[in-house]
Amino acid sequence: MSDPSNSLVLLSRVTKIFGLVRAVLDVDLEVCRGDFLAIFGPNGAGKTTLLRMVSGLTQPTSGSIQFESNDDHSGRDRVGYVSHQSFLYNELTGLENLVFYGRLYGIGKARGRAEEMLVKMGLQDARYQRVGTYSRGMKQRLTLARALLHEPDLLLLDEPYTGLDQHGSRIFTEVLKGLKEEGRTVLLITHNLGAGLELCGQIVIQNKGELVFQASRGQVDASDFERLYFQVVEGGRR
Amino acid sequence: MNQVALIWVLAEKDLKVEYRSPQAFLNTVFFALLILVIFNFAFDPGSQATREATPGILWVALLFPGIIQLNRSFQAEREEGTLYGLILSPTDRGVLFLGKFIANWAFLVVVDFLVLGAFVIFYDFNFSVQMLWVAWIIILASVGFTAVGTVFAAMLSSIRTREVLLPILLFPIIIPIILAAVNGTQEILILEEAQFLDRWLQLLIAFDVIFVAAGFLLFDYVVAD
Repeated sequence: MSDPSNSLVLLSRVTKIFGLVRAVLDVDLEVCRGDFLAIFGPNGAGKTTLLRMVSGLTQPTSGSIQFESNDDHSGRDRVGYVSHQSFLYNELTGLENLVFYGRLYGIGKARGRAEEMLVKMGLQDARYQRVGTYSRGMKQRLTLARALLHEPDLLLLDEPYTGLDQHGSRIFTEVLKGLKEEGRTVLLITHNLGAGLELCGQIVIQNKGELVFQASRGQVDASDFERLYFQVVEGGRR
Repeated sequence: MNQVALIWVLAEKDLKVEYRSPQAFLNTVFFALLILVIFNFAFDPGSQATREATPGILWVALLFPGIIQLNRSFQAEREEGTLYGLILSPTDRGVLFLGKFIANWAFLVVVDFLVLGAFVIFYDFNFSVQMLWVAWIIILASVGFTAVGTVFAAMLSSIRTREVLLPILLFPIIIPIILAAVNGTQEILILEEAQFLDRWLQLLIAFDVIFVAAGFLLFDYVVAD
């Protein structure tokens, strides 16, 4: 685990209840700067709800989410969020989408920053094309560019591999590896165990709202992880 | 970037999106023209009774297509999750409301003026000073209608039955606007003297201020999850 004094986000007994459904239950989690944390779990485990609370899209029913040196979790500009929805306007070009979001986030030279991100994501040749004409892989890379425009402290990725073919997944993984090498702090939800293990430094498994397994990547044998995953999910907490 | 500039950035984005996908605009205009045509066929155009009904006919043709546009304005935001993209940004939610409101209002005013032009032709009025006053009423009424409609459309955007619920929730709230708009239009087009026109205009302005202010203050709660 990273140095605890370098803590970026601290979740304390975070719970989210929707009516009779306990989506997230008593989650304690610390995310330190530079962590690349992969969250695995079956459908309905509460992973997306957890990420939405960290992003500020949803408020916890109880518990607290504190960003470093921020008593009030209102630092929406500190988080970048990538979902299986792109948050992009299909009628606008790639460049127009990024310039728009850049201005929303108060980036001074939004166009310059947008051009820079398009080059970084290998989308400079498509910048004047409408996003509606992009392939799924291109959209996901543009979505990642959008999330990184404002240099967030924390990047949240909610099943970003959804809808990507093998080629697109490989390209996306390479992009994420680059972010890891930059020392970005990332929370990644994925059903892709292989890609998640390849990227992450910390592993969390969530099931039925609770965190049932936490370990550093070095403590887990990649060849045995699938067996471990099913054992934890079907057998309960470890 | 200051708040006023942000409002323009948001409105410009919506106007650009609408301009590049004109199907919604064409559908709205066509629906409004259809209403005018059907009423034109249904009533004897030369009769005094029809003449007296024309203010109501005009406002039916203006308001119902407006509902379609309001529903659509947030449907597009939900499809690719762009509403979440806006909510995640540090932009004040009241500013998000104003940007969306201005874009919706601009779209509606353009549609309404086209409908007014068709109305003048179909119902044998003249393009005169009278119509400038009607246009002024349309501008004022569309402000309040759009402000309330934007709030409710946002609130209902994730609900499956939003097309049904929006008019049910919207129309009771905007009764004062409908009252003032129809009666003001009647005073201009039908009555010999516009005795109470000033009062209807004041009522429209008052409710416009109330609805826009309420939308600005409440939008944070509307989009909160």
